[in-house]
Amino acid sequence: MSVMSRSENARSLGLWDRDHEGHDVIGTRTFGFWLYMLTDAMVYAALFATFGVLSHVVNLAGGPSPAAVVHPVYAYGETVALFVSVLAYGGAMVALKAGNKAALIGALGAAMVAGGVFLGLAYSDIERLFHAGIVPQASGYLSIFFGLILYHALHILVGMVWMLVMIVQVMTRGFTSNVVYRLINLRLFWHFQAVIWVFVFTFVYLQGTVL
Amino acid sequence: MVIGQTVKKWLRFTYGIPMLFLNGCAHSGLLLLEPRGLLSDTAVHYFTLDVGIMLLIIVPTALLAIWAMWRYRRGGRGAYRPDWSHSGRIELVVWGIPLVTVAVLSYLSIKAIYELNPYNPTILARTHKAAGRPLRVDVIATDWRWLFIYPRQHIASVNELVVPVHRPIRFRLTSTSVVNDFLIPQLVGMIDVMPGMRVKEAMVVNKPGHYLGFSADYSGAGLSWMHFDTHAVSVAQFRRFVAAARSSGRGLTDTGFNRFARPFIAVGGARQVFGRVQQGLFGHVVREVMRGKVWRTPMDMTENMVRYMKQQRAEQNAGEY
Amino acid sequence: MGRLSLRQIPYQNPILVGTFVFALILGAAIVGLVTYHKRWGVLWREWLTTVDHKKIGVMYCLIGLVMLFRGFIDALMIRTQQAIAVGPHSPGYLGALHGYLTPFHAGQIFTAHGLIMVVFAATPLLVGLMNIIVPLQIGARDMAYPYLNALGLWLTAAGAALVMVSLFIGNFAHGGWYGFVPYFELPYSPGVGVDYWLWAFQLSVLGTTLGSINLIATIVKMRAPGMTWMRMPIFTWASLSANLIALTTFPVLMVCLALLASDRYFGTHFYTAGMGGNLMLYNDLFWVWGHPEVYFLILPAFGMMSEIVPTFSEKTLFGYATMVIASFAIGGVSWGVWLHHFFTMAAAPSVNSFYSVTTMLVGIPTGVKVFNWIFTMYRGRVRFELPMMWAVLSLFLLLVGGLTGMMNAFATNDYMWHNGVFVVAHFHLMVLLIAASIFGSVEYWFPKVFGFKLEARWGKAFFWCIVLGTGWVFIPMFLLGFAGMTRRLDYIPYTQWGPYLRVMLVGMGFYILAVAFFFMHLYVSLRDRAKNRVGADAWGTSRSLEWMTHSPVPAYNFAFVPQVHARDEWAWRKEQGVADLKSGPYRDIHMPGNTGVPFVLGALALALAFALTWRIWWLSGLALALCVAVVIVRAFAEDTDTVISAQDVERAERRYHDGEVVPMEEPMGRPTPRPAT
Ligand code: HEA
Ligand code: HEA
Ligand code: CUA
Ligand SMILES: [Cu+2]
Repeated sequence: MSVMSRSENARSLGLWDRDHEGHDVIGTRTFGFWLYMLTDAMVYAALFATFGVLSHVVNLAGGPSPAAVVHPVYAYGETVALFVSVLAYGGAMVALKAGNKAALIGALGAAMVAGGVFLGLAYSDIERLFHAGIVPQASGYLSIFFGLILYHALHILVGMVWMLVMIVQVMTRGFTSNVVYRLINLRLFWHFQAVIWVFVFTFVYLQGTVL
Repeated sequence: MVIGQTVKKWLRFTYGIPMLFLNGCAHSGLLLLEPRGLLSDTAVHYFTLDVGIMLLIIVPTALLAIWAMWRYRRGGRGAYRPDWSHSGRIELVVWGIPLVTVAVLSYLSIKAIYELNPYNPTILARTHKAAGRPLRVDVIATDWRWLFIYPRQHIASVNELVVPVHRPIRFRLTSTSVVNDFLIPQLVGMIDVMPGMRVKEAMVVNKPGHYLGFSADYSGAGLSWMHFDTHAVSVAQFRRFVAAARSSGRGLTDTGFNRFARPFIAVGGARQVFGRVQQGLFGHVVREVMRGKVWRTPMDMTENMVRYMKQQRAEQNAGEY
Repeated sequence: MGRLSLRQIPYQNPILVGTFVFALILGAAIVGLVTYHKRWGVLWREWLTTVDHKKIGVMYCLIGLVMLFRGFIDALMIRTQQAIAVGPHSPGYLGALHGYLTPFHAGQIFTAHGLIMVVFAATPLLVGLMNIIVPLQIGARDMAYPYLNALGLWLTAAGAALVMVSLFIGNFAHGGWYGFVPYFELPYSPGVGVDYWLWAFQLSVLGTTLGSINLIATIVKMRAPGMTWMRMPIFTWASLSANLIALTTFPVLMVCLALLASDRYFGTHFYTAGMGGNLMLYNDLFWVWGHPEVYFLILPAFGMMSEIVPTFSEKTLFGYATMVIASFAIGGVSWGVWLHHFFTMAAAPSVNSFYSVTTMLVGIPTGVKVFNWIFTMYRGRVRFELPMMWAVLSLFLLLVGGLTGMMNAFATNDYMWHNGVFVVAHFHLMVLLIAASIFGSVEYWFPKVFGFKLEARWGKAFFWCIVLGTGWVFIPMFLLGFAGMTRRLDYIPYTQWGPYLRVMLVGMGFYILAVAFFFMHLYVSLRDRAKNRVGADAWGTSRSLEWMTHSPVPAYNFAFVPQVHARDEWAWRKEQGVADLKSGPYRDIHMPGNTGVPFVLGALALALAFALTWRIWWLSGLALALCVAVVIVRAFAEDTDTVISAQDVERAERRYHDGEVVPMEEPMGRPTPRPAT
């Protein structure tokens, strides 16, 4: 085979992608968000590991035991509120598919309200504990107990601010690709917080009541 | 293990090389390679095996690299085969040899770990069944001194460890403040000494003598001066040491210890002996620290170590400790 | 102002005052030069607000080099102190009992040295090189998230700046780069030093985590058509495995540090000795990051070697598939070995056994890599140009560093010298391997980025001085390890160690020469750049995609995205006789537009970290609020792209084809973009 025909051959395969479309924006963005969620999952994993390490009797340092700290009413209330919120967010995604702006805004608003209820309950629970002198400084166990629930609550707060931003963006922009990918990412984020809450509920609250 | 034996014999050789290079007889200063205790001896034995086996593969690898570079350099004599990039047989060898080596090393490592387990060194149980009751020593690291308590003898000594030779010694160790690391290079390896916790270590000295001990984990401004002397002596000499300590006027109570444990930089050694040590001091310290007792290091002290040291020296002379 | 007051400026310390004056003069000179040449606009438009992955990479490398220099000065100070302060009769200067550094000052120096070298020199240099090369190697026009990329850079820069600030305002942590508890808790370290350390570290964690998300997404999502997984260049593979490590472990470090911060700021008891804290937890959390981190550093270095060795052996890489497998094996195992950093913590023998074995397992895939490089040279035609020299040095450093690492992994050996200088010598060979690979790849890829080669004479002098310095400093250090010398001593209590320490000082002389030669190397290269211009394929025998575009690389990387047919696409095209880069007619190219937001966020992060360090609460609150506000405002920026028009592309391409000299103001030949219409 002569050099000429060999290179002709190669050329016919196409050397350059002349009609490069660029990369799929929504796919790339959501992929990155998944990666971010992985890092957040690692943070939670480290916190739960810490919780495991600091849940022994010596870590109570003579302070209150888990059973004395946990109040099931708050824990159940928070669970219900968060799952209602996630459900409402699911509704928002249905509305997005249907292209219904008003429904989407309404559903986001509902999700925010339920999130607010969650935060309110968490706040009064913590308030109650602080009044009883049960503070993070009291023992290693309480340090991580509060650390874990506060870190989770912080996510809820961030999620709510994000929802507010999305409501404004949907109102002013409609369904641009930027808005859509953000809504998808927020869904991931919000569902993830619910999943984490299941772990918090199981390990911190349920296990706490039996210990 | 026959292979182990041969390899080891063969490798005494290689091991001699750095020693030669250093003019190495007793005064090379390579403390780790001049063990004088049962545990350190064992550690060095395994060290020799480990290094020997690894050199068997690292040295040929280095030679192979040099050979390939030389022979296949541009203008060299090697035949140029630009497309050659795979060979199943070579792949098998390059995965296989390290795999086998690591398997052998793993076996040795695990064996050594059990023999030298500081809580229960099986090597000691094997060789020292008849050596009598072990001597108990409780070690408390403060900022920045070592307190050695002999609980059965009710005496204590600061920055100076006196032990009889050939008799097993069982340490319990804790710290008042931060983490330290207890080490006597020629006698016993490191063990972390942690506040609010108790760890154990064992040691047997084979030869009378004077051995240096160090604190290895960073513990603050006084770290570099936190070394101690170990005197391995005969049984009679040890008895004399105990008797002399008992007749010393000073006692050490829980409250006295409270003062003793304040940060103190032991420049120049600062030895001390206590004749009557309160029973259970070690356990008391562990419990106190667990409850949250802290002997703080003032920032001022960290920053101006020299001034502090002089001031403390004056206080000590004035009868405080 | 929180704890901040004028008293915190260490004007009594002549060393620091000298440094400060020097920094002041240097800073003034830079500001003066920029002003004189009226370059502020260019600086802002082309650099501070850029989202171009190549420029971001170059800035990462600059930060890395400056910090490398700082780390070097620290090393020099440690070595001189240890050479002087030997034995009780050694002299003392400047308020020190022995030597010229008080324990407090010496402590800050080795802590800063370690932290700077690992997270502010090696990491930025590697991240920078990955930033530059990975998108080029996969035929992409930019990273997946250019904005995030810039943010990562400016957060890292903020961290580095914070460390530098600690030199002149207050002090730095003084206990070791990886921190100790309870030593780093308030009762034992009440000053701001630990807080500086905490926040600088935390900023770099954030920056690197963002960077790893970006690199992974880029590699997964942005490959040119035809570039299947098994056609990916090996450096890209190495970057992928390294960044997977970073992605999964840096968050753990974030937690580790956050809990320590909580102890210090809120009085919690995560790591305290009493009150139910657990100080061993800190070690676990730290080293769950810390060990994988060293492989995060070394895997890209291995990737670099795997690019350089085939190019200069003029041959395909031996065992591509095994190389990939080995990278992931190293990455995977790295997760399960961390306990080897505290074998001496009295864990049960079964536990120590487990970690001893897993640690040694790493030797297998690493060994495979070594053999693959050797068999790449085998039957090749090896050319010893500068990049190759560095790669060969790396290979030998790996053999010795790996051997000594395996010695540490044998737990009972580690009992003898953990916390001793033997370990220090082990890891310095390893990190110097990384440094050597970095120098090698800077030589290797420099012409790609800037369009001209670095000259070779001073470069070789630099190389040999590093070789000599390394031998001269670290061989005695190994012997000192056997002599039982422990780490982090500011005073040497055992005089027998003295002679070795003085010998090592001679070695430092070679390092000083090396740094001088390095400056000459840069200066002469820059001066004679016209002589050393290169085309697309600077070395003639390179094989991967980045050599398929012009040098310096245009802003858009490739006028057309390449279609990939083979593993070594460029080598394949050369062989097929289709290595011609000319191709038209051109089209508009969409590129991300510049933005000042990441820079502003970096500055705010610096303010926040500084305020937290000094407990200036109003400033902390303000900076945090501004950060949040800026992020939200940015979320409303709709069209952040620009377009490079087809005419601009054509003009730029023609300049390259005509062999026109691309001016230095446009190091990457960036044609002026027009805003989108
Ligand atoms: C990447 C990591 C890295 C690197 C490269 C180095 C490089 C060096 N280090 Fe470092 N070191 C550490 C990481 C590193 N170190 C860590 C983690 C510790 C532990 C800290 C602790 O104890 O907590 C440590 C501790 C440490 C000690 C410990 C002291 C002790 O504990 O007793 C010593 C002592 O000699 C030392 C010396 C050196 C020397 C001589 C070099 C030399 O190799 C330096 C040579 C440097 C160069 C050759 C670079 C030259 C610079 C340029 C070329 C740039 C030019 C500049 C511009 C263009 C702007 N180091
Ligand atoms: C990039 C950096 C880097 C790299 C790549 C490594 C690689 C390795 N390291 Fe190192 N290490 C550090 C940086 C690094 N290390 C640092 C910074 C510290 C201390 C931090 C501090 O305390 O401040 C440290 C500390 C450290 C310790 C703790 C010591 C202590 O504190 O007591 C141990 C213990 O096991 C260890 C082991 C190893 C091993 C087994 C490898 C292996 O990956 C090496 C594998 C390579 C080879 C084995 C060579 C090539 C292989 C062959 C030719 C095949 C055949 C060979 C055999 C089968 C033997 N390292
Ligand atoms: Cu480890 Cu206590
Ligand atoms: Cu490690």
